[in-house]
Amino acid sequence: MNTTKDTSQLIACLQCDALYDTPILKQGQSAKCIRCGSILAERKVDSIERSFYWSLAGIMLSVPAILLPIMGVTLVGQYHHASLLDCILALIEHGFIMIATLVFLFTLAVPIVRLLGAFYITSSFKFNRLKPSLLHFFRAFHHLDNWAMLNVFMLGIVVSMYKLLDDTELSVNMGLLAFILWLICSTMAASSLDQDYIWQELENKFVD
Amino acid sequence: MSIKTAQESGLALCPKCHKLNDMEEGADIHTTMQCTRCHGMFYPRKPHSLQYTLAWNIAALLAFIPANIYPIMIIYSVGIGDPNTILSGIGEFVDHGLYPIAAIIFTASIIVPLLKIVGLFLLVYRVHTGVRLRPDKHSKFYHALEFLGPWSMLDVFVVALLVAVVELGFVTSVSAGPAINYFTLTVIFTMIAANSFDPRLLWDKDQSNENAKEKNDC
Repeated sequence: MNTTKDTSQLIACLQCDALYDTPILKQGQSAKCIRCGSILAERKVDSIERSFYWSLAGIMLSVPAILLPIMGVTLVGQYHHASLLDCILALIEHGFIMIATLVFLFTLAVPIVRLLGAFYITSSFKFNRLKPSLLHFFRAFHHLDNWAMLNVFMLGIVVSMYKLLDDTELSVNMGLLAFILWLICSTMAASSLDQDYIWQELENKFVD
Repeated sequence: MSIKTAQESGLALCPKCHKLNDMEEGADIHTTMQCTRCHGMFYPRKPHSLQYTLAWNIAALLAFIPANIYPIMIIYSVGIGDPNTILSGIGEFVDHGLYPIAAIIFTASIIVPLLKIVGLFLLVYRVHTGVRLRPDKHSKFYHALEFLGPWSMLDVFVVALLVAVVELGFVTSVSAGPAINYFTLTVIFTMIAANSFDPRLLWDKDQSNENAKEKNDC
């Protein structure tokens, strides 16, 4: 057993704990664990720049995506439409506070906080203003990884459209376009963020 | 060929920032450690992982029963309410011939939660007893379960949208039913259950079996 080896020259698989020497990766390459097949480490192409612009676009799109009506129905001459925010307000009105809170968290709060967080981290890298507090910030950022459900909500929109098509006149509003773009931006911002690189840089700067 | 694990080499991986840390002398795999990089507290293995998974899993299973009995959505037209359970909502799609949509909802709201609950029970049992444990297969299965989790929220989002959009006063309106609370709880509980399961336990057991075998061979 060689325990004298520096821990920065080793990595372990997050899923099965197998130990490897740290691979030297070029941009766009990734290393896979030979035992369980999950990704050990990857270097994403142009991570900071791409994530910065995607999250900036996402932040700007979040306002229309939340406030503009997604779709509307017409029945016997009456018209009514609703936005993402209206969904939450309608649930509160009907007394389903818990569901309203969870829908608010999963489709509104978590995605926005993740976009703002990605924007803050990448902008501090881009403009070279790294602070030690980023270590804590980035660690807290990872708690939100599992809880953004914009893609599920998108499928929900499609399903409810089919449900409404049957006996009402359905109209699609600008909010749907904004929501789809918002979904794309937040997915791209999250997937282009290179965590290994950010952690490595922060460690080199602040941990001795 | 046997692969060395971090645990055997006296190292522990921080689950948040993926930094390898040296384990202290005499430290157990369930002792709290502080990561040298992100300063977060963590355990080399999640303590009581199986118990937590089992407990959340039972909670999810219990919540799943009322979720299917009570109506999830009540459609009012001209003042008369028509309660819909999850299954009757799917049946309506089948009646209208919308088979793909019916299949999507059936998968998301019936198959996925049940598969997650049964699958996690199975994983916990296999890890606990070590009988017929296939880490390569089982870890892939676990990742599929983890990935599928959030998609069960589909029905809740559909109901939320319908409640907000279909609000035409006396003519038609939609209200959510009590089942939506239980159903959401089922989804959240299965997600927490999947999160509290530590997939590395699958490999630990395998490793110790292998080591024992090697010892016996000698």
